[in-house]
Amino acid sequence: MFVLSGYDAFLGFLLISAAVPVLAIVANKLLAPRSRRGERELTYESGMEPIGGAWIQFNIRYYMFALVFVIFDVETVFLYPWAVAFHRLGLLAFIEALVFIAILVVALAYAWRKGALEWS
Amino acid sequence: MTIASTTQLICFAVLAFTVVAGALGVVLLPNVVYAAFLLGGVFLSVAGLYLMLNASFVAAAQVLVYVGAVNVLILFAIMLVNKREDLSAIPGLALRRVLSGLVCGGLFALLIRVAFTTPWGSGPEPVGDEATIRIGEHLFSDYLLPFELASVLLLMAMIGAIVLARRDVFSQDIATGESVDQGLIEKARTPLLLDRSGR
Repeated sequence: MFVLSGYDAFLGFLLISAAVPVLAIVANKLLAPRSRRGERELTYESGMEPIGGAWIQFNIRYYMFALVFVIFDVETVFLYPWAVAFHRLGLLAFIEALVFIAILVVALAYAWRKGALEWS
Repeated sequence: MTIASTTQLICFAVLAFTVVAGALGVVLLPNVVYAAFLLGGVFLSVAGLYLMLNASFVAAAQVLVYVGAVNVLILFAIMLVNKREDLSAIPGLALRRVLSGLVCGGLFALLIRVAFTTPWGSGPEPVGDEATIRIGEHLFSDYLLPFELASVLLLMAMIGAIVLARRDVFSQDIATGESVDQGLIEKARTPLLLDRSGR
């Protein structure tokens, strides 16, 4: 039934990673002092004092990064079967994948040139 | 019942419960941010179901495309547009609920009928781990042109996204003819579209 036998380790990782946040929160409940006054009520912001609420309109610039990320994320889906079948495909497939990547490097160069990767 | 099949049954039960509960949460929760994160959980659980069906490539594509791309875009869209505001009730809400309930119920009945009338178990043998290699071989031999066209499509999507977000190709708004603010990237708080109602 379970043909993918190599996924036992994956299941183990999944269980451990699911246990980490549960253990962190339970340990916090058990060990932390229970005072609920003053700065204990604030959201933890890497040591900075939080300014205002989180329910605000975010900057449009984040969306540019998200779009660029999505393009290269989808590219990974196409390269994944190439990487898995690489040893069976030979030199021609290597060149074909280089063409694929080269076209996307043009996209990256365009984004770079247009300043989509800069924050300033 | 062996240990492997027991593990599989437990995994399936957990994943199916997560999918159903998460999907109900997406529909029913009033907070749209929670709904978006639950949608990511539902996508991940569906990827787990694909993994149990020995479709490892489909599972990886599900994680990369749906969790990585679609859900990230949904979250960013929420971050960009969402301001806390009081929503007024839509007129004719009861009628809308009845209609959408009918449509969803009909779709559900149709899916149940398909599930019971399909002759399961026939068809080609599953190839398991071989599947991804088989996909790669087809992608680089007889489906080479669509594969290369996909990169051109991604290039077009990238250029289109940058042009739409920056708007420095058009110096004027297409609809109204008013001049559009140049260099949206540089100016932090400029809205993407001109506010026509305020003029």
